[in-house]
Amino acid sequence: MGVMRLGYVHTRVTDLTESLHHYHNTLGMQVMAEEPGKAYLKAWDEYDHHSVVLEEGGVGLVKLGYKVERAEDIDQIEIRAQRFGTITERMSKGDNLAVSDGLRIVLPSEHVIELYHDVEQTGTATGTLNPEAWPRDLVGVGVPRVDHALITAEDPETLERFFTEVLDFRASERVVTEQGDDGQLIGSWMFCGNSPHDIAFIKGPNAKLHHFAYSLTDWNEILRAGDLFAMDDVSVDIGPTRHGITRGTTIYFFDPSGNRNEVFAGGYTTFRDFPTITWTADQLAKGIFYIGRELNERFTSVLT
Amino acid sequence: MPNVTVAGTDVVVQAKGGEAILAALYRHGYAYKIGCRRGGCGVCKVDLVEGEVSYPITVADTVLSADDRAAGTCLSCRAVPETDVVIALTPDDQLRCVAPLLSRLLSTHKS
Repeated sequence: MGVMRLGYVHTRVTDLTESLHHYHNTLGMQVMAEEPGKAYLKAWDEYDHHSVVLEEGGVGLVKLGYKVERAEDIDQIEIRAQRFGTITERMSKGDNLAVSDGLRIVLPSEHVIELYHDVEQTGTATGTLNPEAWPRDLVGVGVPRVDHALITAEDPETLERFFTEVLDFRASERVVTEQGDDGQLIGSWMFCGNSPHDIAFIKGPNAKLHHFAYSLTDWNEILRAGDLFAMDDVSVDIGPTRHGITRGTTIYFFDPSGNRNEVFAGGYTTFRDFPTITWTADQLAKGIFYIGRELNERFTSVLT
Repeated sequence: MPNVTVAGTDVVVQAKGGEAILAALYRHGYAYKIGCRRGGCGVCKVDLVEGEVSYPITVADTVLSADDRAAGTCLSCRAVPETDVVIALTPDDQLRCVAPLLSRLLSTHKS
């Protein structure tokens, strides 16, 4: 019950045509619907109608959609969110193309999330009857699915408490200034499913996007994605490398509007009783970029 | 082809037609504080001291506002010199030569 997964990322782009080139030709997402100034895309192993919405005009995050298991979950979350003191608003079926009614919440960090219980399903590229291992007409990287998002918050402590108390997320990993009671939280990686994170946040300005990520199967796919970024002149932030936090292998890169994307592979499996891992700030560089053990100046400064 | 001069240094590089200021400097082996290189973050803003630039690719108002432009701030990853330009890096930044081989081969230094 409760929140199952990240369902959609709705982001602003300065130029829709250039962005579609990136998200379709380079990353391999399929365009599912287009409206003036807006496009809806999905990755091949996703069964929902879409997982990324691109909206022309500006940069940065419009909102994140998380899917809950049952309609009743929305009612319960609404009560908890209001008790927590956050601004909530009911949304109607049709507010978002193919998405059911649900609940819109302005997080303590000023980001908007939407919770919904149903979405039109268009099926994966390989289907559900005797499926092949993968579709042979993949384009570019051929990303299979959207995985998680990382946002910034002036008060990570409150945001972590919100995700814990209202949405039943658990922290897989936390970064604190120091061990013990005096330690301040500077980042938290939280899950609702069985991956290392479905949302993460680090200390920074409210309402900003650090990145959203696609899941790839393994390290070889990460390297292959990197090769494609070279071929397509994609601006690469860092990688291929590994994160200490989540253990995932990674490349951070930028879309044509400067929104940061990630391809992410590996990482461990979490369950509800997963013991939270702690990192201290003096080891943050190793936690973020395990191999180089150095934070580049972009990691904390480049946000959209 | 327009020259890009970095104020307070002896560095002058030549931008190719349509090439942004950032790309021209990096192609010549120089570096300074930059971010996404795609106009989204605003980290690579510099002061345009002399000359004219254009923005062939749309830049978000939240990144470079009309006030920024009026004050002579330019977003160097997207700003294409229309004339010879002189730029000044922000006071907390400085130009670094990270590939002397390239800068030696390609740069035009003031004598």
